Amino acid sequence: MEILKVENLSFTYPLCNEKAIDGISFSVDRGDFITVCGATGCGKSTLMRMIKKELTPLGDMTGRVFYKGRDINTLSEAETACSIGFVAQRPEEQIVTDKVWHELAFGLENMGIARDIIRRRVSEMTCYFGIEDWFEKSVSELSGGQKQLLNLASVMVMQPDVLILDEPTAQLDPIAASDFIATLSKLNRDLSLTVIITEHRLEEVIPVSNRLLAMECGKILKYGETRQVVASLRENDVFTRGMPAAVRIFNSFDLNGPCPLTAREGRDYIESNFPNTVISLEETDERNDKKETVLEFSDVYFKYAKELPDVLRGLDFKVYKGEIFCIMGGNGSGKSTCLSVAAGLHRPYSGNVRVLGKKIKDYKKNELYRECLSLLPQDVQTVFLKNTVKEELEDVKSNEDFLPYDLSGLYERHPYDISGGQQQLLALAKVLSTSPKILLLDEPTKGLDAYAKKEIGDILKRLRNGGMTVICVTHDVEFAAEYADRCAMFFRGEITSCGVPSEFFSGNNFYTTAANRMTSGYYKNITTVSDAVKIMRMNRTEGAL
Amino acid sequence: MITIKNASLRKVLRIAIPFALVPAVIVAGVYLFKENSYMLISVAVIILSLLLFISGFEKKKTGTRRLIIVAIMTALSVVGRFIPVFKPVTAMTVITAVYIGGEAGFLVGAMSALISNFWFGQGPWTPFQMFAWGMIGLVGGLLSKYLKKSRVALVIYGVVAGLAYSLIMDFWALIWNNEIISMEAYLASLVTAIPYTIVYSASNLMFFALLAKPFGEKLERVKLKYGV
Amino acid sequence: MKAFDNYNPITVFIYFASVITIGMFCLNPVTMNPLILFLSLAGAVTTYLIRNRTEGAQSHLFFFVMFILLTVINPLFNHNGVTVLLIINNNPVTLEALLYGAASAAAIIGVIYWFRSFSQIMTSDKLLYILGNISPKFALILSMTLRYVPMFEKQTQKVIQAQRGLGLYSDTDFMSRVRGGTRVFSVMVTWALENGVITSDSMTARGYGITKRTFFSIFKFRRQDIILSAASVILFLIILAGVISGSVNFKFYPEISYAGTTVISVITYIAYGLLAFLPAFTESGEELRWKYLKSRI
Repeated sequence: MEILKVENLSFTYPLCNEKAIDGISFSVDRGDFITVCGATGCGKSTLMRMIKKELTPLGDMTGRVFYKGRDINTLSEAETACSIGFVAQRPEEQIVTDKVWHELAFGLENMGIARDIIRRRVSEMTCYFGIEDWFEKSVSELSGGQKQLLNLASVMVMQPDVLILDEPTAQLDPIAASDFIATLSKLNRDLSLTVIITEHRLEEVIPVSNRLLAMECGKILKYGETRQVVASLRENDVFTRGMPAAVRIFNSFDLNGPCPLTAREGRDYIESNFPNTVISLEETDERNDKKETVLEFSDVYFKYAKELPDVLRGLDFKVYKGEIFCIMGGNGSGKSTCLSVAAGLHRPYSGNVRVLGKKIKDYKKNELYRECLSLLPQDVQTVFLKNTVKEELEDVKSNEDFLPYDLSGLYERHPYDISGGQQQLLALAKVLSTSPKILLLDEPTKGLDAYAKKEIGDILKRLRNGGMTVICVTHDVEFAAEYADRCAMFFRGEITSCGVPSEFFSGNNFYTTAANRMTSGYYKNITTVSDAVKIMRMNRTEGAL
Repeated sequence: MITIKNASLRKVLRIAIPFALVPAVIVAGVYLFKENSYMLISVAVIILSLLLFISGFEKKKTGTRRLIIVAIMTALSVVGRFIPVFKPVTAMTVITAVYIGGEAGFLVGAMSALISNFWFGQGPWTPFQMFAWGMIGLVGGLLSKYLKKSRVALVIYGVVAGLAYSLIMDFWALIWNNEIISMEAYLASLVTAIPYTIVYSASNLMFFALLAKPFGEKLERVKLKYGV
Repeated sequence: MKAFDNYNPITVFIYFASVITIGMFCLNPVTMNPLILFLSLAGAVTTYLIRNRTEGAQSHLFFFVMFILLTVINPLFNHNGVTVLLIINNNPVTLEALLYGAASAAAIIGVIYWFRSFSQIMTSDKLLYILGNISPKFALILSMTLRYVPMFEKQTQKVIQAQRGLGLYSDTDFMSRVRGGTRVFSVMVTWALENGVITSDSMTARGYGITKRTFFSIFKFRRQDIILSAASVILFLIILAGVISGSVNFKFYPEISYAGTTVISVITYIAYGLLAFLPAFTESGEELRWKYLKSRI
């Protein structure tokens, strides 16, 4: 049954010449799980907001949206508010009230529903989501993933038929993100809830969605059954880049057959189409032993307060000059704390941290932050306070000539009006203004699309080639595999394994890249998609011979 | 469950409370008990006037974004109280009043007092603080035309408002200590409070001179961007 | 078990309003009855101790010193009264003024202790519930603010760390603290206002402002609440009548004089004693009930 129909929809923002959305038409059946993908700025967020009438921005809109055959502009306010639910990107800012139970009831309160009915619906939803334990908590006690689940639950109490989500997992760590997608998938299966979701991280969401809508420059590029759309976009580099590893591998060859979506399907695809006569790629050994240590942790212990448990427990490691060092690990393993100890923001109670050979406590006042070391925080909005990008750069007397990238196109924009990737670059520019020898980064790829990730990665490489040492805490295994010179695994306050990416990830069975998961046991030391493609090509030509 | 479910009854109460109860309390306080019970009467009058304001606010339709701005400015002024040297309640109240309006200013002032006291402790002083800061906001809103135009006027109003706040609270202290500690003791306590008042005024002066304008610009931008 | 935590916020409010109103009402020269003030102080301190036991014991010392100070200061400034104890700088120190000081100190500290318990019991969500019944909109905006405060505090810490990592914040001396403080606050203002629109969208998406809101709450009004509220109100009215009738009038100046002991005055004292110790009674009642239930197992 058709539940939603978009007919020739166009939209232009005020003071803009180009259409943000240009003549879009498509129809959605009840129970569809639709992933909308496309590069940042392709108009997918705008499209989401056109379907959720209440959030349609100011501007010039033509075309119509039908919900169950009726134009959404003819529906009552209460009907659209309830029937079409909306969850946005940032979990924290979407929460309105201070208690979990109150947040769950918020939408129903707005509808003027009697207390007894609210009580019943709220308790039902609490049970369905299994969140009884939080019910009386303050929302500030919840983790990011829990907050996003709460946002979902507090939309679901209004019993919507259609749920629209605009990058809901962008700010979550990988585990919370897959939990969230799993919950969505369950809602879709159990309640025939229609889901329309935009995402950058497609690894999890593509396998559960039955349709894919690809957008480019405000237009629909392709819309249809997931596998077909994925296969038909083979030639399009922008889309392929953001796709799951299995798809990227499939798209690198011109074999026919169904496109693999998950790692399991990818493995089947590789094993049934490619031999493994060549098992591993030749190692390009560029290790030189005469390396200068720039940061050294020796037996460092740290805790936030006397009565709290240790966060760093005898941490020992060295980082050498001119390398990209990635630290990975689960939530609460202490990796971010390690970074702030390295930046001198926290003092260890035992052990030594040496920066450029000098003990960190011997640096006076702000000496450490002058031409020595600089930290890019996870939340880059914590460094913005001016009205334009130009003023932000002037604020730190940044010398743009030394930046390995150009921001001049954004000078007159407000720091909060530019995209997440651009914000990251602006913050990085501020951080680089002190011309540090060591650059510390906390989750630099969080919430970014594939293109922005590549941009950041390439910039880090350029900085490293210029002699800077980059230390990066990240959840993003694919990013680390691609750009790191060495990776380290953090667990319960210490580093449990450390090495160059190919060895590091091959040694891991679970905490590793999708390409490695698909090929382990079949090929050796393959961590990135490009490596996998390379070795598959070699095997193919070998086989042909 | 005890709730005033009936809307018309609520309406009646809303009108009845300010127009009948406030004078009734004063009359009762002054004539019935013949002697002074200023403390109780003043608390009652203040609480009733706050209720009067709230009921007016309830009746009006307030846009979501306006509501959010008030909540944000209040939360900022509460959080600012924990930053060393900073006492931004008066400043945030006045800035909100000037750029968003007197009602918003009143709410920011009154709620900042109420919410800070969840940490600093509620007491009979809570309604007075709510009232004092609320009035600073309300008056600031009335004067917004002038305060927006001239930075000097804004700084002067900020400092005067800070002093007025101290005065209102001192007046309250006078009532609280009514007949217990004599006028001399009260004046003595005022004298000892002078250094504190000077520091407080100086911090207000600095805040208004340095930050009122940039913060105002930030508010203006948000107002434009979100169409408040 | 913590006294009063399980009662409906309205009940708690009615109780504290009654007991504090009487306590403050008696703070005037005509009805400043030392017995009532003493009962108020004793009840307030007992209620506080029931909740906190030995926790924060040093604060009691502070209030004890305050009690002594308030008692002693009055006769130094106030020279009314006929019984001169001693003369300092040609000014008489009178017994009446000293006793008056003690009584008013008892009144003030009593009220402060009532408010200390009140602040602990009347947590923000309970206050919101009461306000929600008066003005759902005001309660909502208050709830939003209460949600923002911890969020902003956390963010403030993040901003401080971020600015410190950039070498733009230090707190080594006064001026850099001021500079750093304004910087951090400035970042916070931008951040909060710019992201406010997300909250606003989230409210609009869930239909805020379409119709008149209801106010949901998890508190119930049970039989124990009816009993306690009724008891508070009835006792309050009895005491009020007693006080207004003048039968508990008490004057310190120029010399101590008071209305004689009558049936009405005794009833008033008993009523106030009951009211002031109501939390203690409910608490021990609960304890007895638990003991009884336990013994039956």
